[in-house]
Amino acid sequence: MKRIIFIISLLIAVYLKAKSQDSSSVATKDEVAEVKGAVDGINETVLEMKSALDVLKKIKISGYIQAQYQVAESASIGSYAGGNFPQNVKSRFQVRRGRFKINYDNDLTQYVIQLDVTQSGVGIKDAYASIKEPWLKVATFTAGVFDRPFGFEISYSSSNRETPERSRLFQTLFPGERELGAKIELAPENGPLSYFNLKAGVFNGVLNNANETDRHKDFIGRAGFQLPFDEEGLAIDGGFSVYAGAVTANSKKINEIDNSSSNKKYKVDSTITNLGDGFDRNYYGFDLQLYYDVPVIGGATLHGEYLWGTQPGTDKSSSFYNPDAAGLSDVKSIIDGKKVTDLYLRNFNGWYINYVQNIGLKNQFIAKYDVYIPNKDVTANDIGAVGSNLNAGDIKFSTLGLGWIYHWDSNVKFVLYYDWVKNEKVNPLATSTLAPFKNDLKDNVLTLRMQYKF
Amino acid sequence: MIKNILILLTGIIAFGFSQKNETITVKGSDTMVIIAQRWAELYMSKHPDVTVQVTGGGSGVGISALINGTTDICNASRPMKKSEKEKLKQRFNTLGVEIKVAKDGLAIYVRENNPVTELTLQQLKDIYTGNITNWKQVGGPDAKIIVYGRENSSGTYVYFKDNVLDSEDFAPSVQTLPGTAAVVNAVSKDKYGIGYGGEAYAKGINILKVKKDANSTAYPPTEENVKSGDYPISRYLYMYTRSRPTGVMKEYIDWILSKEGQEIVTKVGYFPVK
Repeated sequence: MKRIIFIISLLIAVYLKAKSQDSSSVATKDEVAEVKGAVDGINETVLEMKSALDVLKKIKISGYIQAQYQVAESASIGSYAGGNFPQNVKSRFQVRRGRFKINYDNDLTQYVIQLDVTQSGVGIKDAYASIKEPWLKVATFTAGVFDRPFGFEISYSSSNRETPERSRLFQTLFPGERELGAKIELAPENGPLSYFNLKAGVFNGVLNNANETDRHKDFIGRAGFQLPFDEEGLAIDGGFSVYAGAVTANSKKINEIDNSSSNKKYKVDSTITNLGDGFDRNYYGFDLQLYYDVPVIGGATLHGEYLWGTQPGTDKSSSFYNPDAAGLSDVKSIIDGKKVTDLYLRNFNGWYINYVQNIGLKNQFIAKYDVYIPNKDVTANDIGAVGSNLNAGDIKFSTLGLGWIYHWDSNVKFVLYYDWVKNEKVNPLATSTLAPFKNDLKDNVLTLRMQYKF
Repeated sequence: MIKNILILLTGIIAFGFSQKNETITVKGSDTMVIIAQRWAELYMSKHPDVTVQVTGGGSGVGISALINGTTDICNASRPMKKSEKEKLKQRFNTLGVEIKVAKDGLAIYVRENNPVTELTLQQLKDIYTGNITNWKQVGGPDAKIIVYGRENSSGTYVYFKDNVLDSEDFAPSVQTLPGTAAVVNAVSKDKYGIGYGGEAYAKGINILKVKKDANSTAYPPTEENVKSGDYPISRYLYMYTRSRPTGVMKEYIDWILSKEGQEIVTKVGYFPVK
């Protein structure tokens, strides 16, 4: 009997256990289904987040700030090292550049806005859209405000450039570097043609970001090459650039150097048809960059440019002629009761050479020499001579700069740089505003800059 | 004042050259981490005075580190782009030095029981761009293809996009994973998964044969097929330095290219360049 009771108890136990296992199995299945549902839900959420993230990844934000302290050799000097020093000012703090750039990069199309935020306010540096053709991916069309495609120094970013400022030559001929227009760039990525590039465009030909002021459009273009010699650790890059433009005279008085006379002076052409006529602004330039990997010490580069051409300006300035922006003290004529700025045409040339030596990972030594001859048809002695009408806009300047860069980390660098500026010593008989140029001006500048870039 | 500046500059130069560098940092390709670590371990065991620090992150990350000056050597499973070389020129005035250290057949992974054994390049492209979504379209079961890939900082991603997708975009449904090991792991657990990555990582999964087009012969990524070029998606694995390597770094790279260093390449599962 005991045995029967034991067997029955055992069977009941086995049945109950099986039943409990069945219900546990059902519960497990339910849990698995629940977890699967949750995972599917998470997957959907992740896919949605990924789609959103993919869009956000196309937005690239970058920028840099250059804060600097400068000491000039004397107060109130005119300077190309970050602008003129104000009256009685010999030293100053500045936010030289405060750039904030947003780039929506959709692979074959791009949208770029770059602002410059400094103590002087907010300005637009870049505002352009570009489209790359989808077949060979060689040609890019760009329209808006962007760097003028001339030479090397213009498009070399201020954040990467070793010297604090561009050479006097480029600051004079291409103030602000940017211009409103449209360009096409050809830059093959692969094959033998990848050693060459071409960029050319049509621009308003006025000033950085300024509205069009005349009926002329200017052509600017550069044909470049890049030759790497990997085995030798050497690269040679370069190009030839052309600027073919014109300005509209808003005065009938056009001044040009009278080359027939032994005493060089301006002669005035006052033909009435000059008013509103177009006068050439033509530049030509060669640029060359050599890179060499100096064993043990680090890479070195030597780059330079030589430019020549015709530049329309005012009597006191050989800078980019813009009737609306001419200085108050420039020579004026009266046309229909309004003061208008007379036009001065000069044949100029200029060049610079820049050497940078990397020393290890953190340090760089810089030496730069630039020369700007705004009027190559005259000598220093002609300027200030009685009756020459030659003025400050005709004086040659040369600048020797020496500096050191210390890269604190990948974001921060410190720059210590000294500019020795020399001007031509003009005719001893010079008077008035030319009188100070009888000697070398005390206009050297020391710059100590900190840059943060991200 | 000039005298003070000169003294300061002299001090900085002296400080710069007094830095003794016996630590080599290596950063970049995840595909290459597996081999770079083996190289580093063996080299350090033979040269206790040298430390080699290896990290991954992807070829793009390694190249950025080289440009930023935060690594000595960059590992990359793709060549440096022209734009990247330009950045190196701007910061360091050098072109960078490219050293081919191994060769790899880019393997296509599926789970071990997947009946599909080969694919054409066009089929691979269609799978990764989203034109083919079901295994039955390539001779497999009637099941959705779960597609795994790499993040865009990966050289393998770039290589695959350039050479298989003809630079077209990956489909949004491609699940990106942070390393080749993660891709292998995902595919090994996913009945209908497919992934791509370095040959050396392919453990516990099937590797498909690949053919150039429907009329070609399909080849597996063996050393012979990779060397002959029959396997259509093979590539070099690179090391990049900013300048021509000298001192300890040169000795290390020379050793990697020596018989001993290249034997490790084979042991790990890649193919030697010498």
